[in-house]
Amino acid sequence: MKALDDLVGILARLPGIGRKSAARIAFHVLKSDDQYVALLAERIGSLKEKVRFCSVCGSYTEDDPCEVCSSPMRDRSLVCVVEQAQDVLTIEASREYRGVYHVLGALISPLDGIGPDALRLDRLVARVRDQGVSEVVIATNPTVEGDTTALYIKKVLEGSGARVTRLATGIPVGGDLEYADKLTLARSFRGRVAL
Amino acid sequence: MPFSRIESVSFRNLADGAIQTEAPSVFVVGENGQGKSNFLDAVYTLCYGSSFRGGQDADAGRDGERSWSLRGVGPDGSSCAVAWESGIKAIKEDGKPVRDRKRLVERNPAIVFCHEDMEFARGEPERRRFFFDQTASLVSVGYIDLLRAYRRALKARNQALKDRSLDVLEVLDLQVASYGIGLRDERAAIAREFDERFAPRFESVARLGQRVGVSYRPSWRLDEGSDDVVARLAAARDRELALGTSLSGPHRDRFVFTDDSGDFSDRASTGQLRLLSLTLRIAQAEHYAGVSGRRPTLLLDDVLLELDPEKRRRFMEALPEAEQSFFTFLPGEPYRDYQRDGTIVYWTDDGRFTRT
Repeated sequence: MKALDDLVGILARLPGIGRKSAARIAFHVLKSDDQYVALLAERIGSLKEKVRFCSVCGSYTEDDPCEVCSSPMRDRSLVCVVEQAQDVLTIEASREYRGVYHVLGALISPLDGIGPDALRLDRLVARVRDQGVSEVVIATNPTVEGDTTALYIKKVLEGSGARVTRLATGIPVGGDLEYADKLTLARSFRGRVAL
Repeated sequence: MPFSRIESVSFRNLADGAIQTEAPSVFVVGENGQGKSNFLDAVYTLCYGSSFRGGQDADAGRDGERSWSLRGVGPDGSSCAVAWESGIKAIKEDGKPVRDRKRLVERNPAIVFCHEDMEFARGEPERRRFFFDQTASLVSVGYIDLLRAYRRALKARNQALKDRSLDVLEVLDLQVASYGIGLRDERAAIAREFDERFAPRFESVARLGQRVGVSYRPSWRLDEGSDDVVARLAAARDRELALGTSLSGPHRDRFVFTDDSGDFSDRASTGQLRLLSLTLRIAQAEHYAGVSGRRPTLLLDDVLLELDPEKRRRFMEALPEAEQSFFTFLPGEPYRDYQRDGTIVYWTDDGRFTRT
């Protein structure tokens, strides 16, 4: 059945979805009532029209500037730098961070042909310079590319007066040592700090 | 012992079925090309999730079969399995999928002695670095992490050199220096520790009357700190830009076997080099056991051939305690001299195993 095969094919392109899962979703759609299917199609179809990038921080939003950037409750002297827009949602879910964000959109990776120009760094420098930012928290992933990007940002912000910090890595808070994976433990030992 | 039975289907030239291995030592005797090394490779694949003979997983299928599978069963009924089908490899432990093959290594760490080990003794620096990286990685997941980070940062730095991205290079210098110094210091520590195990062991089998040890010659001096290395990289910038590659760092480290007169490998005979490569594996197994507190599985693939009878005897006596040992022999070798109580001996012919 071409229509079914076509749907399975396009669903299987989604991240984390193989052909088996795609087929299960397609059969579920086939068995669902018409109203649900129409709503699902409409929601998917309108997503990219409704959600765009915030012109200030670069995260996802329906209203520009985004909720965080337009909130008077947020501390604008504190900027958290993340790689992708969805990282903002992850940090926001903690309800711990009260500053604002800056989304880079990528990480520096010479092997993938991504240089500093591909990142929204000029806007970050302008925000730090013009908006009295006192601290920039770099929250890139603890990978080689994440480290390269963090060190590069530290370099371009030298002389700006802002303190540049990086998220700590190691044993998860509340996690028992016995449940930590070996790599996390190994990194925690290498990155141990004095008390 | 890790394996009381090895089952194989469509794996290399081994006949489909199960081979009983419920003994501390298993000998496989046969002419060349009859499946001895393939049997050891089956055991190795069950320990590491990949072949020790290199090549692609697809090549391990018998006569171009598009799938193969192996399963090892322990005396307590526990099992591990590696299967390959149409480009996808599946690893299971007690029937449950395993995501990272490191889990297999933790379960049944194995040390393989094979002909290719001569490369460690002959002197190609890259092969020697491989050996010591492997020795460290067997007992330290942190070392693997550091090595991967250094290699990735180095590749990125070489690309940045080719792209002439000077601003990114300044940052990559810091990263390469940081990971590289960590790697250098770990290599220095393991070389010291390894030397203490290797030198007396080599003398006990080679009887040269002088100490042959392992010496680490790092590309960056041991007293160079991060700032020194960054300055060194900056000083070499023009030359590295011209060549498009990083000219110093742990990827240029050397490990040298030295005696009273200098580099031992340069003057050693083929037999001495063979003995040196075998002793490296003995020391590797002892290092693993010493650090982890566990005995490895030993796999010895036709490695006694180039040794005279006396050296063979000494080598066999020097073999460390193992969870289980698998040996291969040609029919003319005095394998009966090495049998111990309970040793299982198989003859193999065209992949079929007959127990004697």
